[in-house]
Amino acid sequence: MNSVFVLILGFLVAFIGYRFYARYVDQKIIKADPNKATPAKMYMDGVEFMPTSKNILFGYQFKSIAGAAPIIGPIIAIQWGWLPALIWILGGALFIGWVQDYSSAMVAMRNDGASFGGLSHKLVSPRARIILLAFIYFYLLLIAGAFGNVVVSTAVGLKAAPMAWLFLTIAGLLAGQMIYRWRKDILLTTLVAVVIALGGIVLGKFFPSNSIIGDNLAGSRVLWAIIAFAFCYFAAVLPIWRFALPINYVASYIVFLGLFFGIIGVFILHPNFTLPAFTGFNIKIGWLWPIMFVTIACGAISGWHSIVSSSGTARQLENELDALPVGGGVMFVEMMLALFALIIAGTLYSSSAGYSEAIVKGPGVIFAAGVAQFLGALGLPAEFGSAYGSVMMIILAITIMQLVVRFMRIATSELLSDVHPIFRNAHVGTLIASILGFILVYYGWWQYLWVLFGGANQLMASLALMMITIWLISEGKPSAWTFYPMIFMFVTTIAALILTSINLLKKVFSGALKGEAFVGNLLMGLMGFFLVIAALILAWEGVKAINKYRNLKAQKVGPAAAVNA
Amino acid sequence: MTEDEKKKNKFFQAVKEFVYGMAAHDSARFALKSRASMEHLFILITMGDMLGVPILPPYYSLRLLPYVVPQISTWKRRMLREKDLTDALA
Repeated sequence: MNSVFVLILGFLVAFIGYRFYARYVDQKIIKADPNKATPAKMYMDGVEFMPTSKNILFGYQFKSIAGAAPIIGPIIAIQWGWLPALIWILGGALFIGWVQDYSSAMVAMRNDGASFGGLSHKLVSPRARIILLAFIYFYLLLIAGAFGNVVVSTAVGLKAAPMAWLFLTIAGLLAGQMIYRWRKDILLTTLVAVVIALGGIVLGKFFPSNSIIGDNLAGSRVLWAIIAFAFCYFAAVLPIWRFALPINYVASYIVFLGLFFGIIGVFILHPNFTLPAFTGFNIKIGWLWPIMFVTIACGAISGWHSIVSSSGTARQLENELDALPVGGGVMFVEMMLALFALIIAGTLYSSSAGYSEAIVKGPGVIFAAGVAQFLGALGLPAEFGSAYGSVMMIILAITIMQLVVRFMRIATSELLSDVHPIFRNAHVGTLIASILGFILVYYGWWQYLWVLFGGANQLMASLALMMITIWLISEGKPSAWTFYPMIFMFVTTIAALILTSINLLKKVFSGALKGEAFVGNLLMGLMGFFLVIAALILAWEGVKAINKYRNLKAQKVGPAAAVNA
Repeated sequence: MTEDEKKKNKFFQAVKEFVYGMAAHDSARFALKSRASMEHLFILITMGDMLGVPILPPYYSLRLLPYVVPQISTWKRRMLREKDLTDALA
């Protein structure tokens, strides 16, 4: 099959899904009202509630949700064959992904911009909120671990990446200084910073990490894990305008240019898929169901999007009609990003043997090679393209990691400050989050870590869909369009987490691991079970809430029906 | 300006806003948040009595009242609004 056909199929699914299904839900079920004041317009406190144009929010939503997952997931999942991965990306985004993103924003908007914590308290129960917040803490820890692993594998596997990463950091720090302290023009700052970052990518080719620090250090996972979490540490404790924000600002241009020209490269080269369409239901990394469905997360459905949509986007929408293009539309764009990653994995190698050899080095290495190939179609040298792809991969992972570590610092302070005042200290909270993340990265088995992350992420999505379903029932609206996706995601993710945790703990207790490796993998296995138990309790609370609202509705209808009779 | 030119301008404006949203919106939002947080903190220190905080505004604070009045409802709402961890991601 030709890769351009896959992209066209993606555009078609996005068009049909958005134009017919999504619009039907928006107009006939949710009944978005352009005359209704949104929380952004009603409250306009200049802190969280600020009405913003839908085009700006489109870019903001895309940047917030597009991390490493829509790229890594398809590259790993192609081991079951490109066909099941393609079907899940298209079907998942069409029936579940946009539904969750859009309705998370809508539910939050219709509830005064409440976050999911507040919504779970109001719609489900006070206990649900506490469990949800604990769930979110461990889910974010898994994100830090899984994405940290991506950064480390890319830095180890592609020796040009560290120099590019270093220059990106320098460019970001300089951009922050120029904008906030020296008050320089934003265009000049952008130009200078992006040129420095691109220069670092070129230099990475001439000064690979092993030529500067030697082969041993350049190939050391410990070193790059420490550097990655040190990076996140500084992002969490330094003023956000000095480190995190300006680096993210420069990085977004690198990512945008890479994706834009990469997709043009796909159209120019239009390679055919060389890997098999289907390899089997049960392969080395697990069963097609449920494992593949959690391996591909963000490209089809992701709980992270519900947090962004409810806590961030919903408080900025200036019109109810904007929720569909921003919430739903961006999900379809992310689906295209996942298809781009699938095309890279499926067309890059002439045979499965080539792919199998490459995947051992990490999916980031495959992505960088793919970007190199497609940028090469535009005349860029392969080594530059590979360095560019590697720094894109690091950016996509580390921008989410820094946000996660910052959030975990705040969460640690809030949850544990009553236990001991030391937990109020920003450095202590950040250190705890960084150490836990480091343990997962260094000692955790990658294949289990990614599946645990995917399972937790998709389980978060099913919990979001549960809250949306409860809200729809409480409002007397049809809920089948969220209820059945919720059931599918819940069953799939619980099965994936249980299977993965059992397999992991079997290996841990087989005696093969000692010391810190034993602790790290035991921590992972236990986290998997904790997430399952938390989700089952939340599901039980959800069932009680659904029954409560259904009974309330029946009571309202009951007397009226008696009168009519 | 012809219809086509208007559509082209609208398209380029949308692309500009998209790139701004991807790259700079977070920074702009943070700057606005920082300013608003400081203003709200100042209002809390000078007019905290409105929320039940025992800060009796002296004469000089009350002279600021006409400037503060437009912000009082949003300030009160922000101070008293229920918050949790997920707000940290906003």
